[in-house]
Amino acid sequence: MTSHFFWNGGPVAFRSGETIAAALLRAGITDLGRPSATPGGRVFCGIGACQGCVIAVAGAAPVEACLTPAREGLRLGPLPAIGAEHA
Amino acid sequence: MKPTRFGPSLYGTNRFGMASSSPLHVAVIGTGIVGASAAHFLAAAGARVTLLDASGPAAGATGASDGAVSVASKRPGPMMDLARHARAFYVRCEQDGLFRGLFHRRSTFLVARTAIEADLVAQHGADLAAAGERVVEVDRAALLDRIPGLGASVCAALEIPDDGHALGYEITERLLATSRASIRRNAPVSEIVMRAGRACGVAVRNEFLPADAVLVAAGIGSAPLLGLGEILIPRKGQMAVTDRASVAGPAIDGHLMAASYLAAKRGIVRDNSHIGLVIDPLMTGQFLIGGSREDHRSDHSTDAATIAAILREALDLYPPLAARRVLRSFAGVRTASRDGLPIVGLHPHYAGVVIATGFEGDGICLGPFMGANAARLLLGERPEADLSALSPQRFARVEAHA
Amino acid sequence: MREAPILVVGAGPAGASAAATIAEAGLPVLLIEQRDQLGGAIHRQPAAGNEEHVWRPARHRRNWAALTARLQASAERIEIRTETIFLGVDSEGRFLFDDRHEACVFARRPRAAIIAVGAIETIRPFPGWELPGVMTAGGAQVLLKETGRPPEGPILLAGGGPLLPALAAQLAKAGNPPVAVLERGRPWNAPAALARLALSWAPMSEAAAYAAALAASRVPYRCGAVVTQAEPDGDGLKVSIRVGETQEPLLVRHLLIHDGIAPNRTGIPLPDPDGAVPILLAGDGREALGADAAILDGRRAAMQVLARLGHAERGAPSDERGLQRARDFQATLARALQAEPIVPPPETLICRCEGRSHADLAALAPDASAREIRLMGRFGLGACQGRFCGPMIAALRGQPLPTASPPRWPLRPVSVAALARLTIDETE
Ligand SMILES: Cc1cc2nc3c(=O)[nH]c(=O)nc-3n(C[C@H](O)[C@H](O)[C@H](O)COP(=O)(O)OP(=O)(O)OC[C@H]3O[C@@H](n4cnc5c(N)ncnc54)[C@H](O)[C@@H]3O)c2cc1C
Ligand SMILES: Cc1cc2nc3c(=O)[nH]c(=O)nc-3n(C[C@H](O)[C@H](O)[C@H](O)COP(=O)(O)OP(=O)(O)OC[C@H]3O[C@@H](n4cnc5c(N)ncnc54)[C@H](O)[C@@H]3O)c2cc1C
Ligand code: FES
Repeated sequence: MTSHFFWNGGPVAFRSGETIAAALLRAGITDLGRPSATPGGRVFCGIGACQGCVIAVAGAAPVEACLTPAREGLRLGPLPAIGAEHA
Repeated sequence: MKPTRFGPSLYGTNRFGMASSSPLHVAVIGTGIVGASAAHFLAAAGARVTLLDASGPAAGATGASDGAVSVASKRPGPMMDLARHARAFYVRCEQDGLFRGLFHRRSTFLVARTAIEADLVAQHGADLAAAGERVVEVDRAALLDRIPGLGASVCAALEIPDDGHALGYEITERLLATSRASIRRNAPVSEIVMRAGRACGVAVRNEFLPADAVLVAAGIGSAPLLGLGEILIPRKGQMAVTDRASVAGPAIDGHLMAASYLAAKRGIVRDNSHIGLVIDPLMTGQFLIGGSREDHRSDHSTDAATIAAILREALDLYPPLAARRVLRSFAGVRTASRDGLPIVGLHPHYAGVVIATGFEGDGICLGPFMGANAARLLLGERPEADLSALSPQRFARVEAHA
Repeated sequence: MREAPILVVGAGPAGASAAATIAEAGLPVLLIEQRDQLGGAIHRQPAAGNEEHVWRPARHRRNWAALTARLQASAERIEIRTETIFLGVDSEGRFLFDDRHEACVFARRPRAAIIAVGAIETIRPFPGWELPGVMTAGGAQVLLKETGRPPEGPILLAGGGPLLPALAAQLAKAGNPPVAVLERGRPWNAPAALARLALSWAPMSEAAAYAAALAASRVPYRCGAVVTQAEPDGDGLKVSIRVGETQEPLLVRHLLIHDGIAPNRTGIPLPDPDGAVPILLAGDGREALGADAAILDGRRAAMQVLARLGHAERGAPSDERGLQRARDFQATLARALQAEPIVPPPETLICRCEGRSHADLAALAPDASAREIRLMGRFGLGACQGRFCGPMIAALRGQPLPTASPPRWPLRPVSVAALARLTIDETE
């Protein structure tokens, strides 16, 4: 069974147990946004150390895509945009 | 005490009796914002300056603090008045290029969350207005326009539009980079060396460094150097830094200062577990959130209970912080004097020694101005403001009576 | 009052081995792992719904099966908290954890702690290493194990060390062999070291299996070749490669880099085996000796804790011998693959988090203090807290990036809301 979360508003399919990073990469999304003068986001170390894959989560604090299991309906996007909109 | 002891300055000899042809050599102990400023302006006036720091530039409170250049936060009286001078000095230095890009004008919002707090804020606003400060009342709706997402508990606020922000370590770096003062890192001064009642240099480990005059701007390290252990106390402050909430520039349009902070600054609450809350939007888009005031603590460690308490307060005041992560926690050590005022002036007993310390939680605001004035004192010039309330003499008198 | 547990952080081979050893001795264990599954870097398990298992040597499969069986057997004494990140120790001696599942931070006071958080890959920086499409080889491997599928499009592997051919073989077996493996060392120039390596049976038979897989897929393994630059090129990357005096471009979709591994020590409490709460490090997080040694090292740390708490004799001498063999092997390997350091051009990014370049680093005073490097240089100040720029700076400045002492918490960024919900369990 496949489920979906949303990246920049668009649905991304994932298989249960997969990390957000794995699903994004399978969808061909390697560029996780260029939030500021500092370099853009991307999955790099895969183990939570480099923080390069940190993404915004609507209604919560950002997470590491490489550590975080994908969950149905999550609304995700590049830092810091989505995180700032608060319920 | 009136500042009447100033000798001839620009011509002939300076007050330390040196012929003006051989430049005055000043040893400045401490490369915090105060020492760096003094060194900068001394060197600009032609003095030869050697800065000595036990570690390096901004190793003390200057590198572990917030950077509110704020009149809004000051206790009424000499501090409020001097902060107005000090902030004007920032504005001048920014205009003439010295602080270009480092000092940013921005409003301080004094916010109340209860009726009692609203009274305190109103009282403080009246004190500020009396000191000549612009104070604007903002109702909740207007405030929400300025700071969307503000917590439901906020019931009253005042805007102090003429405040600003600067990072202490950036100012320190700029002051040093634009002066010819020489810096010695890893140079802990163990003693001010006296000869015939006047300073003739300092001792660093086993080395003697001659100097014509000495400025002690060593923060809490000034206490052992001057025997001020009874007068200066360390006051630890814990803070948290978040990730970026905005792409460029501050994430909100002003500095949020809770009434709980004013209560601490006005001396209404004295409690090591009290949180005097400030939420400071940095130029990087990050937030700096503080803080505690823990007397007699001089370590730099942080504890989870205190940081969590700070964050709970912060979330209540500004709930959108729930979308942020804490990148680090840190603690800095403020140097507080027994009567709460800084100590700036000539040493009451030792000729050739000037003191500038005890800036507690206000040294980023006051530091550049006070450093420049310490330089003037060393050069035998009159300070640019009435510093008599800060004179070290006040403690000499107390000591004598005791 | 509950009996305070022995804390084990990290459920890789070292942590699993330590946890099992302690639990088998009858003591309660709190095992903390940031992922949703146990296994660590090498035994990263496939995602729950995924049937496509990545090929790996039988020895490693057996080792992990044995460790999981031992954990299972002592399950009633092991409290496992997954999706929970160790944040460090605060000034009051509280061990802090970020429970990502519950979105709250909790504090515990264990009787002793074994920290087995593994290694971090080291990276030799070059212009463009920060681009999307560039990943560490280990990171790519972890994802490969999780999904069972290699990334699509041409892949280039570059850097140094044995992980590169291992990953290349796994990619080949999974259906997308890399276009090449570039090893910057020249092992053939160190025949003595090569000869010594040949004596290590387990790793060499593993290497032979990888070599066979590479040969079967015709993946070129080029020594003395380095990446000098990567630039964006449409959907992919234009990679400049230098071999000897010649430069050549290569168009790929993914560039996977790796220059060895080093213990992950940023923010980790200092070892204190004799403290009131003994703290030990174990596995690659103590000394990067590889997966087999990590199992021994986890047991060694566990035995030391047990001895300290009056439960057993000090560690088995065979463990020490095994660790020494691994140390010798790693040292010989390093000699075989050693390559001259390369000074990256000034525009090369050193700190990705804050966007700081080699030129910014070079502008700092040679005797700059820790504060100056952090605050004025803004190195080690970003979200990764210096884990990646730290080793680069050490290599370029010839001195380590100064770290906070005592180490600061949180050692990883933590949600403001979760930390505000801190629960403190002082009963233990
Ligand atoms: C948490 C916190 C938040 C703050 N927020 C603000 C704010 O928002 N606005 C504001 O205006 N102020 C703020 N402050 C206060 C401000 O940081 C200090 O008042 C100011 O930095 C003091 O500067 P200084 O130069 O006097 O001392 P320091 O910066 O402490 O410098 C003293 C230097 O002397 C050196 N030294 C000490 N002993 C010796 C020795 N024997 N020999 C050689 N060198 C020695 C030290 O290494 C150090 O570098 C805050 C402080 C803290 C702790
Ligand atoms: C990305 C990567 C891939 C590797 N792949 C291989 C390979 O395929 N073959 C091989 O022989 N060697 C590989 N290695 C080397 C590998 O580190 C060792 O062989 C072996 O896995 C070490 O075991 P360990 O238990 O010491 O560490 P690890 O296996 O790395 O285990 C550490 C565990 O701690 C967890 N952790 C880390 N920080 C925290 C924290 N703050 N809070 C909670 N949990 C935390 C991690 O999620 C991990 O599960 C790899 C190394 C890396 C960095
Ligand atoms: S890729 Fe490095 S933290 Fe996720």
